Amino acid sequence: MLRQRDGHLTRDLLRAPGGFGLGQVPARVKPDATTDMVCGYCSTGCSLTVHLRDGEAVGLTPAVDYPVNRGVACPKGWEALAVLGAGDRATAPLLRDAGGVRRAASWDAALRTMVERFRGIQSRHGPQAVAFLGTGQMATEELALLGALAKFGMGMVHGDGNTRQCMATSVVAYKQAFGFDAPPYTYRDFEESDVLVFVGANPCLAHPILWERVLRNPHDPTVFVIDPRVTETAMQATEHLAPRPKSDQALFYGVARLLIARGWIDRGYIEAHTRDFDSYAAAIEPFTLERVSDETGLEERAIEHLAETIHGGRRVSFWWTMGVNQSYQGVRTAQSIISLALMTGNIGRPGTGANSITGQCNAMGSRLFSNTTNLLGGHDFANPDHREKVAQVLGIDAGVIPAQGGWAYNEIIEGILRERIKGLWIVCTNTAHSWINQGQARDILGRLDYLVVQDMYATTETARMADLLLPAAGWGEKDGTFINSERRIGRIRKVARAPGQALADFAIFKLVAEYWGCGGMFRAWESPAAAFQILKRLSAGQPCDITGIADYEMLDASGGIQWPFPAGQSAAPARTERRLFEDGRYHHPDGRARFLHEDPRPLPEPPNERFPLLLLTGRGSAAQWHTQTRTAKSAVLRKLYPAEIYVEVNPVDAKARSLTSNDTVHVESRRGRITARAFVSRSVQPGQVFIPMHYEATNRLTDAVFDPYSKQPSYKACAVELRRIAALG
Amino acid sequence: MATTTPTSVRPLPLVDRYLGEQQATAADRFARAHDAAQADGRPALAGRYSALMPATPPAAGQQYAFDVDLDACSGCKSCVAACHALNGLEAEESWRDVGLLHGGSQRLPVLQHVTTACHHCLDPACLHACPVEAYEKDPDTGIVKHLDDQCFGCQYCTLACPYEAPKYSRAKGIVRKCDMCSDRLAAGEAPACVQSCPNGAIAIRVVDVEQVVEESETHLFVPGAPEPALTLPTTAYRTTRVLPRNMVPADYHTVRPEQAHWSLILMLTLTQLSVGAFLVERLLELVVPGALTASIRPVHSASALVFGLLALAVSVLHLGRPRYAYRAILGLRHSWLSREILAFGVFAGLAVVYAGWSWAASAGWLERLGDWAPGAGAEPAVRAGPGWWLGWSVALSGTAGVLCSVMVYEYTKRDFWNGPATACRFLLTTAVLGLAAAWLPLLIVAAGSDAVLAAVAVDRYGTVLCRGLIVAATAKLLFEAALFRHLAARSTTSLKRTAWLLTGALSNVTLARFAAGLLGGLVMPALLLMSRVPASPEHGQDLVFVVLVAMLFSACLAGELLERYLFFAAVASPRMPGTP
Repeated sequence: MLRQRDGHLTRDLLRAPGGFGLGQVPARVKPDATTDMVCGYCSTGCSLTVHLRDGEAVGLTPAVDYPVNRGVACPKGWEALAVLGAGDRATAPLLRDAGGVRRAASWDAALRTMVERFRGIQSRHGPQAVAFLGTGQMATEELALLGALAKFGMGMVHGDGNTRQCMATSVVAYKQAFGFDAPPYTYRDFEESDVLVFVGANPCLAHPILWERVLRNPHDPTVFVIDPRVTETAMQATEHLAPRPKSDQALFYGVARLLIARGWIDRGYIEAHTRDFDSYAAAIEPFTLERVSDETGLEERAIEHLAETIHGGRRVSFWWTMGVNQSYQGVRTAQSIISLALMTGNIGRPGTGANSITGQCNAMGSRLFSNTTNLLGGHDFANPDHREKVAQVLGIDAGVIPAQGGWAYNEIIEGILRERIKGLWIVCTNTAHSWINQGQARDILGRLDYLVVQDMYATTETARMADLLLPAAGWGEKDGTFINSERRIGRIRKVARAPGQALADFAIFKLVAEYWGCGGMFRAWESPAAAFQILKRLSAGQPCDITGIADYEMLDASGGIQWPFPAGQSAAPARTERRLFEDGRYHHPDGRARFLHEDPRPLPEPPNERFPLLLLTGRGSAAQWHTQTRTAKSAVLRKLYPAEIYVEVNPVDAKARSLTSNDTVHVESRRGRITARAFVSRSVQPGQVFIPMHYEATNRLTDAVFDPYSKQPSYKACAVELRRIAALG
Repeated sequence: MATTTPTSVRPLPLVDRYLGEQQATAADRFARAHDAAQADGRPALAGRYSALMPATPPAAGQQYAFDVDLDACSGCKSCVAACHALNGLEAEESWRDVGLLHGGSQRLPVLQHVTTACHHCLDPACLHACPVEAYEKDPDTGIVKHLDDQCFGCQYCTLACPYEAPKYSRAKGIVRKCDMCSDRLAAGEAPACVQSCPNGAIAIRVVDVEQVVEESETHLFVPGAPEPALTLPTTAYRTTRVLPRNMVPADYHTVRPEQAHWSLILMLTLTQLSVGAFLVERLLELVVPGALTASIRPVHSASALVFGLLALAVSVLHLGRPRYAYRAILGLRHSWLSREILAFGVFAGLAVVYAGWSWAASAGWLERLGDWAPGAGAEPAVRAGPGWWLGWSVALSGTAGVLCSVMVYEYTKRDFWNGPATACRFLLTTAVLGLAAAWLPLLIVAAGSDAVLAAVAVDRYGTVLCRGLIVAATAKLLFEAALFRHLAARSTTSLKRTAWLLTGALSNVTLARFAAGLLGGLVMPALLLMSRVPASPEHGQDLVFVVLVAMLFSACLAGELLERYLFFAAVASPRMPGTP
C-alpha cells in the first residue's frame, strides 16, 4: 500500500526482446512476424522493418540490412504508421450536393457521377477539357495505370504531376545534357568523394539519412555548401559560400572559367565523351572573377578557393536539390553544375558525379512511368516507334496514344483560367496548398466545372474544394514499388487495413476504368504485381531497362535493385551499388554528353523600395513533409517544429523595423499578406527572409514564375516587406 | 443519375471485390519473413552502435551518463521519435527533446542543435522533491529511475527538475521519465536514442562522479542550459568548436504562459485564507474585549475551518491518483511537499478541534461538563487557558503550513518563486484574505444576533479590519507591481520574462488582478470606514452593509486567486534550449 514497485503502470513500459533480429521492443507490441518496406516520404528510400502481429502493423524500426539506410531513419520514417490512424481519414466517397454540402456516397454513386460529369465536360468542350494532376507519392504501378487510363482510356490529353514542383528541372537538365533523365550516382558516392559540393541543398533536414552517408565518408572530405542561408548542412560543412539568391549560375560559370583558364580540366574526357565544350568555354568567358564576385557578393578569394578545391580533389561530387530546381533558370543552373563535373572528368567514377537528389519517395517512378511528359517508360510521345512499342506491350491500338506530350502543371492551371480545362482529377497531391501564388491558384481551381480529388485525408486544402472526394488507402495499406534517388526500386506493402471504404489507388483506377467503359483495355493490369511485369516490358531497351528483375520477391531478396537491370544481367550485382556512365557513353545518339549554356537572367521580382526583402522558402525541419497532410497527424512530429508559421529575419533588418524575436509581423508581397512570428537569426543574410514551405500561408506570397524549359515554379525568390504588428505574440 | 454511360446500368461487383481485398489481413504473406533472426540472438543493429556503448560497467565513484557529440548532431530529431516508438510511449510522449542554440556574428553565424533527456543527475531534484519516494537513483549505474506505480501524480517533480525531464501523463495520472533504457543497457543493447541517431551523436559513457561535480561547479554544461550546480547533471556535451559567447536558445525570446494548475491555485489561496482567518481571530483578541470575541469566535473559527477543509479537498484533486494521497508521508525527510501536506494536515486537525471547542464553549456545554473540563468558565478566551493554547496552535501550525508552501516553490529555484519573495507573497495573501474573511463572521453575527451587539461588534472590529486590510493590500499590490521594474532590464532575465508575460500574453489577467485588488483591498474598506454604516442599524442600511462587505470579500478573494493564477502562469521556468 505504502510502497509499490510493480503494477499495471510499471508493466505498461516493460520491454522485451523482439526477436527477428530486433533488439528489445515494448512488450505490449512484441511482433510475431516482420516485413520490410520502403518509406513513403522522401526519395532517400529508406527501408523500414514493420513489426506485425496477426498480420497487422504494430510498430516499426529502420531496416538494418538495407543498403540505403542500414538501420537508421528520420523522424518521419519512425512515425510513418502513426499517421494512418488519423481521425480525418477519408472513409467514404464524398459527393457535394446541390447545396454545396459534402455527403458520403457509395462507390457506385461516386464513380457514376464522376464518369457522367467528366464525359459531359468532354462532350461539350472536347476530350482535352478534362485533365489530371498526379504525384510522386504513389506506387509506380499506380502512376502508370493512372497515366495509361487517363490518356489511353479516357481520352485525356493533359496530365502532369507534383513532380513538376520538385524534379522537372533536373529531368530536363539531364535529358538535354545526358540524353536521358538519368541521375548517375549511387549513395556510396557520398562515402567515396574527397570533395563534396552541395548546391541549394540542406540534406541535414531534407535527407537526413543521406547526410549520414556523408558522415561515414572515411576520406576526411572537404564539404562545400553553396546556399544563401546558414542551414544545418552549412553548419556541418567544412566550407560555406552564401552567394546572393539565384546568383549560383554565374558562380559556376565563373568557377568553370577559372578551371579552364588555369588548365584544370580533363581534356581527354572532354574530347572522348562530350560535345560543344569550346562554344561553352567561349560563352562563359565574360564571367571574370571580378564580375562573378560582384554578382554573387562573394569574395574573389572564396570563388578561387572553390575552383582550387575542385581541382585538388581526386573524386569530386556535386549534389543539388530545390535551391537549384525551384528557379526561373533552374535548368541552366543545373547544367552549369553538370558542366563542371564533365569538364573535370568527375563523373562515372566512384565518389563523383553531377547528382540531383530527388524529392519525393517515387518522383523517379513518376518521371519514368507516369505517362505525362514522357510516354510510359521514358519514351517519347512524338516518336511513332515508341508509340507502337507501348501499344504492343499494352495490347492497345497505337492510335489512342497522343502524338505529343500534354501540358505541364502550370499550363493546366493556366488552361483552367483560359477555360480550356473544365474538369480536373487531382490524385495524391495538395495543389491548394503547394501551388505557387496560392490565392490565385485557389481562385482558378474554383472555376472548374468539376473537381475530383483522390486522397487519404478528407481535410487537405484541396480535398475541401472537391466536388467529389475519392477516399484512398495510403502508404502501408497497399502494394507496389517506389524508385528512389539512386534509381533503386523498392517494395511497399499492405501492412495495415485502410479505414472504412478507402481503396488502394490502383483499385480506384481499375474501378474508374470499368465505370468509364474501358476496363477491357486494362485487363492485364490485374494487380500491382501484374502491372510491374508490364512496366518491365515497357522498359525493355530503354536506359531504365529493368527486364532483369524477375518479380517483387527478387526485389525483396536483393535489398532493392537499381535501374538499369536488363535481362541477362547476373543477379549478383543486384546487391551492390551501381553508378551510371562508367564507360563514358551517354544516351544521346552520338554517345556524348552536352555542354549547355545561357546567360543568367535577373531576378523576376527584384527587391525595391516597397518590397525590399527577398523571401526564401524551403524545408523547416526533418519532421515535416511538404504540405503536412500526413506529418501533422503525428503528435510526436508536431513537437519537433514550431506550431505557428514563423519568418527568419536578420538582426539588421529586424532592427530597422524595431522587431525582436517573437514579435508578430505581417509579411507582404505583391500577391498577399500573411501574419507570422518573427525569429531574428543570422541564419539569413541581411535583405533576405526565410519562411518554411510547410505552413499553409507561405505560398500566398510566392510569385508564379517558371523555368522556361522545365516549367518548374520558382518558389525561392520573391520580394516582400515585413512590418511589426504586435510585440511578443 | 444519368444512364447514358454504358457502365452505369448496374453496380459492379468489382467494388465489393476491391473492398474485400482491401480489408483482407496480410498475415499469410509474411509467414516466412525474417525467420532467419540473428543466430547469436544479438540485435542486427548491435554492430552499428557498439562503439557508442561503455566498455565496462561503472566502478565505485562512477556512473553511466549520456555523452552528446554536438559536432555530429545535425538536428534531424530522430532520437525524439525513436524514444517515443521504441519505448511504446503515449501519442505525444517522448523523453528526449531537441532544441536549438544560435548566435555568432554575421560573418560566422552559428547554429547548434542540442539533444536532451534526463541528465541522471548526481543530486536529482526530482528525487528530493518527490513526496512519495517514487524516484530511485541506482547505486551501481547512477540511473535515476521513476517507480510508476509508486507515483501519485502530484507533478511536483516536473516543477523541481530544471530540465523538464519528468513528463506528466494526464491520462495515466502519473509522471514518467527516461530511465536510460535500463533494461536495454542491462542486456548490452543501446538505449533508443543512441541506436537511432543516424550520426552516432549520442553515446553512453561511464563518468567519474568527481569530474561531474567539478564541471558542474565551473558551469561547464551547455550554453543556454539551467545552472548545472543545482542538480549536478551528468550528461556531457562535447564539441571541438568554440561556441561563441552570444549563443542563445532559439526560444530565448519566446515567452509562453505556463500551465496554471487551478487546483494548486485554489489550494494555496484558500489555505492562506483559512490560516489568515485564524491568525486574525487570534490577533483581534489582543485588541478587542473578550466578551465580544467570544460571541464571534464560533462563527469565525467555523468559517475559517470551512475554507481550510475546502482547500485541502481541492488539493487532493490535484493528484493524478488521489487515492494514494496518504503516501505523501514517506517523503518527510526530504520533500517540502510532504512537509506541507503534514503541516496542513495537523492544522486541519487542530482547527476542527478548535472550532468544535469554540462552539461548545459558546453553547455553554463546557460549563456543564463541570470543574474538570479544561478552560471552562465565563470567559472562554482566558489568556493562556487551553482555548488560548489551542487557538494559537491552530494559527501557528497553519503558518508553518504556509511557510512549507513557500519552501515548496523556493525549492524549484525559479527566480519568480524565490523564497523571500514567495514568503512575502504568501504571507501578505494570508493577511489580506484573513482580514477580508473576518468580515464574514461579522455579517453572520450581525444577521443572527441583536442589532446593538452587531453594531458594537462591527464598530469595534470593523475599524481595525479596514485599516489592517488597507495596509496589507497596499503592501501586497506594491510588492507585486515592483516586478515590473524588470521590464527595464537590458538583459532577458527570467524575471523580465515574467514581467513580459504579465504585461503581454497575460495582461488581461494582470489588469483584472490589480482592479480586484484595489477594489477589495482599498476602495471597499475605505468606503466602509467612511460610511460607518452599521453604526445606525436600520434594515435599509443593513443591506448596503451586506453588499459592501460581500463586495469587499469577493473582490479580495478574486484578486488573490488571479494573483495566484499569475504566480503559476507567468513563471519563467528553467529549461534546456528549445525551438523557435
